[in-house]
Amino acid sequence: MITSLSALPTVFSIGLQRQFAYRWNYLLRALFSAMPLLVSWVFWGAVFQDKKTVGPYTLASLLTYYAVLLIVESVSSPADDDFQISREIREGSLNSILLRPLPYGLYRGALFLAGRCAYLVAALIPVALCFFLLSRVVPLELSSLDLGRGIPALLGSALLQFSLTLCLSLTSFWLLDISSLIFLVYSLEFLAGGHVFPLDLLPPALFQVAQFLPFAYEYWFPAASLCGTLSHSAWQIGLGMQFGWALFFLLLAHILWQAGLKKYTAAGG
Amino acid sequence: MSSLLHLFRLWFTQIRYAATRELAFRANFFVWVIVELSWFILQLAFVDVVYQHVDSIAGWSRPQMIVLVATNQLIQQIFTAFFMPGLVKLPELVRDGKLDFVLLKPTPPQFLISTSHLEIGPLANAVIAAVVVTFALHDLHITPSLPSVLLYLLLLLAGLLTHYALLLTLVSLTFWIIQAESVLLGYYSIFQVARLPREAAKGWFRILFTFALPLLLVANIPATTLLRGSQPASLILFLLTSLTATLFASLFFQLGLRRYQSASS
Repeated sequence: MITSLSALPTVFSIGLQRQFAYRWNYLLRALFSAMPLLVSWVFWGAVFQDKKTVGPYTLASLLTYYAVLLIVESVSSPADDDFQISREIREGSLNSILLRPLPYGLYRGALFLAGRCAYLVAALIPVALCFFLLSRVVPLELSSLDLGRGIPALLGSALLQFSLTLCLSLTSFWLLDISSLIFLVYSLEFLAGGHVFPLDLLPPALFQVAQFLPFAYEYWFPAASLCGTLSHSAWQIGLGMQFGWALFFLLLAHILWQAGLKKYTAAGG
Repeated sequence: MSSLLHLFRLWFTQIRYAATRELAFRANFFVWVIVELSWFILQLAFVDVVYQHVDSIAGWSRPQMIVLVATNQLIQQIFTAFFMPGLVKLPELVRDGKLDFVLLKPTPPQFLISTSHLEIGPLANAVIAAVVVTFALHDLHITPSLPSVLLYLLLLLAGLLTHYALLLTLVSLTFWIIQAESVLLGYYSIFQVARLPREAAKGWFRILFTFALPLLLVANIPATTLLRGSQPASLILFLLTSLTATLFASLFFQLGLRRYQSASS
């Protein structure tokens, strides 16, 4: 096991090199990801024209939420790990990985980490530029960011998103094409995860329901934790839910992997 | 004229072939209808949540905003059905050198790439979007006249051209940047602008997305034509900018094509 773990830094390094080979692709991706923030600025600017607050938010606190979402996305959202895993299973390149004395979950985890690090570096400049430009127009409340609560929630979000991605991708053992399933879950993540609007703008009953689902802990919870809008008890409960869901999906991924391997047929040389 | 007719005939044949291929996987067709529909519901849910807190945004009431969002969906779905599937394959064609086979054919490569694929699922969603527009107009007690509807359809075409121009420009970047898969993310990110009411945008943002990239006109002008009648100045501006954008995109594609070096031996 220890020998296996010692291979992880090498896997991480290979993953990092692979990601930086396509640095332009990364830079473009990061630049485009700042676009929704600009759109939010224009749209919510019009909403707040005649109002000082919408729900619990002022214009500045709402835009801070969207700006913080960019950080959450950079740190925790998988790039195309789902499609890579699916391809490995479908096309049989999993064969060579199975022969290595390294658990597949850890192997993918190291690649996910490398991808996030590469993206974070590539995204730094456009995100910082976007923050700078926006802060000239709107007083973003970036000085009041709560890193003490935000960082554990960010790490939890990364673990949750990775484990959910792993579960979705492993269905490739049974399904020929999982892209429709992935895009369906994306849409749920966007709506019920607080990507389109903060979940506390929902009617109270729907907000309660959303807090039971895993999606809320992918975006809304880490963003709200960083913005410092949660009470201490709400943050503790949220963190428990987040890691609970991450553990659930890791266990589910393990079960899917074991069942999938029994079905998997390695063909070809 | 005869070569134009030839292209139309070719396009029709490609559509027939693509439709046969699509219908071979009927389950896939229904799954994708549900996936695309879920994204549309997401947009409508967003409108609904915001209008729980306000009565009007930049002078647009809730049903008016639904006309805008659904018009945008209508254009996007038609574009996704006919042109997007072919265009997004360009980066792969360039990377693998398979563009050679396209270039060898006696037909303009831009035409072949743009029309090579068809997805039927988005067409079903375009119909749903059109139904949503109709219901929202009914909510507003508006019965558009026949000329308004015809003008609306013409403006949808201009909207399609704008979508086409932007995506063609983005995928043409592949001639410079080998892995350009993120351009699709760029397309979706930039086109969020089209869902904004034009009156909400101010200053440089409004100028940029009206004159350089006419995204603020794509859904706004057709929707406004249905809701408030036609405004000739805006109509002419939209038609001109969409045509100019398409021309620019086409030139950019040709420029990129000159850089293409086959990847095969």
